[in-house]
Amino acid sequence: MPTSRPLSPSPGRSSPPPRRARLAALGLAAALSASVLSGCGGASGAGPAAVTMWTFKQSHVAGLRAAAAEFGRRTGIEVRIQAYTPDDAYTIKVQSSAITGDLPDVFEVHSDGEDFVYGAAGIVQDLRGRIPASWNDRFNPAVRRSGTVTQDKYEQSLPPTSTSHGVPKGARYSLPFTIGTFGIVYANKAKLAAAGITRPPATWEEFIADLRKTTAKEPRTGGLSLGLKVPSTGLNWIGQPLAFAQLGRGGYEALYGREKSADWGSPKGTEVLEAYDRLTPYWMPGTQSLTIDDADQAFAQGKSAFDIGGTFTLAFLQEAGMKADDILAFGLPAPRKGAVKDLALGPIALTGLALSGASPREDEARRWMRYLSEPDVAARFSKAASDLSATELGAESADVLGPNLARLMETFRGTPENTYNPYDTSFRPPTLDMDEAGAPLIDMSPLRQTGPAKTGLRLRKLIDSYWQEAR
Amino acid sequence: MTALGTPSAAAPGTVGAAARPSRRRAAPGGRGREAVTGCLFVAPALLLFAVMGLYTVGYGFLLGFARWNGFAPHWDWVGLDNYADLLWRDPVYAPRVREAAVNTLSVMVAVPVLTVAVSFPLAVALSRVRRAQAVLRSVYFLPYVTSGIAVFYAWQYILQPDGAVNYLLGVLGLGSLQEPQGFLGDPATALPTMIVVTVWTEVPVAMLLYLTGLQTIDRGLTEAAALDGAGWWRIQASVVWPLLRPITAIVVLLTLRSALHGFQTFLIMTNGGPGTHTNVLGLEAYRLAFLAKFAPTLGLASALGWMLFAVAIVLALINLRALRSRV
Repeated sequence: MPTSRPLSPSPGRSSPPPRRARLAALGLAAALSASVLSGCGGASGAGPAAVTMWTFKQSHVAGLRAAAAEFGRRTGIEVRIQAYTPDDAYTIKVQSSAITGDLPDVFEVHSDGEDFVYGAAGIVQDLRGRIPASWNDRFNPAVRRSGTVTQDKYEQSLPPTSTSHGVPKGARYSLPFTIGTFGIVYANKAKLAAAGITRPPATWEEFIADLRKTTAKEPRTGGLSLGLKVPSTGLNWIGQPLAFAQLGRGGYEALYGREKSADWGSPKGTEVLEAYDRLTPYWMPGTQSLTIDDADQAFAQGKSAFDIGGTFTLAFLQEAGMKADDILAFGLPAPRKGAVKDLALGPIALTGLALSGASPREDEARRWMRYLSEPDVAARFSKAASDLSATELGAESADVLGPNLARLMETFRGTPENTYNPYDTSFRPPTLDMDEAGAPLIDMSPLRQTGPAKTGLRLRKLIDSYWQEAR
Repeated sequence: MTALGTPSAAAPGTVGAAARPSRRRAAPGGRGREAVTGCLFVAPALLLFAVMGLYTVGYGFLLGFARWNGFAPHWDWVGLDNYADLLWRDPVYAPRVREAAVNTLSVMVAVPVLTVAVSFPLAVALSRVRRAQAVLRSVYFLPYVTSGIAVFYAWQYILQPDGAVNYLLGVLGLGSLQEPQGFLGDPATALPTMIVVTVWTEVPVAMLLYLTGLQTIDRGLTEAAALDGAGWWRIQASVVWPLLRPITAIVVLLTLRSALHGFQTFLIMTNGGPGTHTNVLGLEAYRLAFLAKFAPTLGLASALGWMLFAVAIVLALINLRALRSRV
């Protein structure tokens, strides 16, 4: 009987594979290991020769790319624009890239907040003393110090739980890029006309009366939309400007203080909340479940007659298909009997440009930043992005910007006494989470879970807890 | 005649003889080479696990004892402060965590109960269907294979004030059941609605498990019960249901886990709102980590994550114990 020779080993037994197969397998394993290791490595050392810039605003991309193309033609320096949206995704992208050392040369940042966080972390450069007057004076005077750690901001950074803990006083971490403000009301002209409204409301009471008219005309689609899924919007964009107008600067700031006779739980605070509560019957159904973009989208689709946002909202509405002629834009009006009758909404730097601390192309990046601040470049960018550039555009700005943007700029004009500045937070607990503070307001309006007095007490308790934490 | 290449046909002694020399050959240096080869084969997986598993788990655990915002060049060590702050000490975070814990508890009770209540009868019904069984199974399994961000967005639209649910209720003459603010916009309906959507995503797998269990039940047992005079309901309640208890334990464990850790649905559909009425612990941990607007709360997020992990382990052990005692 011939001895059998199996072609393959029997189950449970093994014999070494041929040498060539083993070598091939080893090679494959080594390659896989190498690929794993290389995957863990950063992209440093092999980066592109171009300057890279990140933005979180999709509406800015076209304008920036057009500017980059022109800059490239003039200087031979290539600039690559990359957008990461929405804001939360951008933050996480920067966070992870900071850890892996894979940051761009220039970032667009939320001014006077995000830039300080990056500054405290050492991932953006301190530009103090490196921006000549010829460059800085191009900006709107209201924002020429934007990005600077002022005394107020420095004091707010002192608690260890502050987001900007560790920033040195006087440091400058960004230059203003776009300006604007919150509390801008957008109205659908067709719906206003249908309700017999011919002009923007001059007072808060008129605004409420207009809402009554539009919802009477169109009960489901005549109300007010606002992205209350982000709880801070109600407080930031309506509640605070309203409180400022109703109580004046001192009374408004005292709402966030530790003095119980003047805080949100006091009669003064209740008065402001009662005024806010007058919106309750007129919200667009379900507005509390909408994001900011969803609410703007709903307005653009004709599901509401009014929409509240910022100057930046205009670009979104136009992207969503609305024409400039369809929209009437105006600043939030003040209550008739308020301390501030002619409320102005102060311009603030909404976004800024920061220079990476580890940029290998620092000079080129600085040239790019400076180029963006040139008036003609800024004007073209403003027009392309439907946003307000921080660069002063001079007397012809109305021609450059178009009627809506020009009208929005009108809301900026005020005196220090009647101008609400949303970025002045020096009187608030330094770590106050505005989303947390906005939630009780939503329970009051539109949800009708609580009344103004109880809402004031909830706000008092919450703000007290932040003061305690700050101690 | 032994066929060439069929080891099973070879005489036992022959196979042993064929194998032994190869072992002997491997003995001096071959075994070492084999070991090296084996190690190199598993190296990529080990390396991946070390980087993606051990490193991140260890990193996360240590982060629970630090204050950091994800940007700062160094961590501030705070010991057990993060745990104390979340549980009772911090006037800002502790109340938030307590409210989220109550919501999470509601989800943890309702989701397993409803999932079992829906999936078991569904599986029994499907196992009895004679026609189009495969089609029906696929239909009921669809929520699992299509689950994802897009589906949750779709749910969001369906539940809006002018969405399909309100429309359908209106068409059916059930206008009194319509929700003018949308089912996610009213605090009274938002959390129950989220529970229903979560159950909708959990039912397919639970149903599949029950179907598998039903197929393993000896038909003789149910026939014997029928011969003893038990009706269909009695057979289901007294024979089938007890026999499927291990499956129920698994279903409960899986749904508890997802109720405890799941946050994506809540993040997309409500973001914890309206206000904070649907905030759950998983979402709170995510918010502390990624939506805290640069606040140094990554350590708090990590600590909350580890507390959730501890609760999950305890629940799993309890479940396992219950499972063992029943089997």
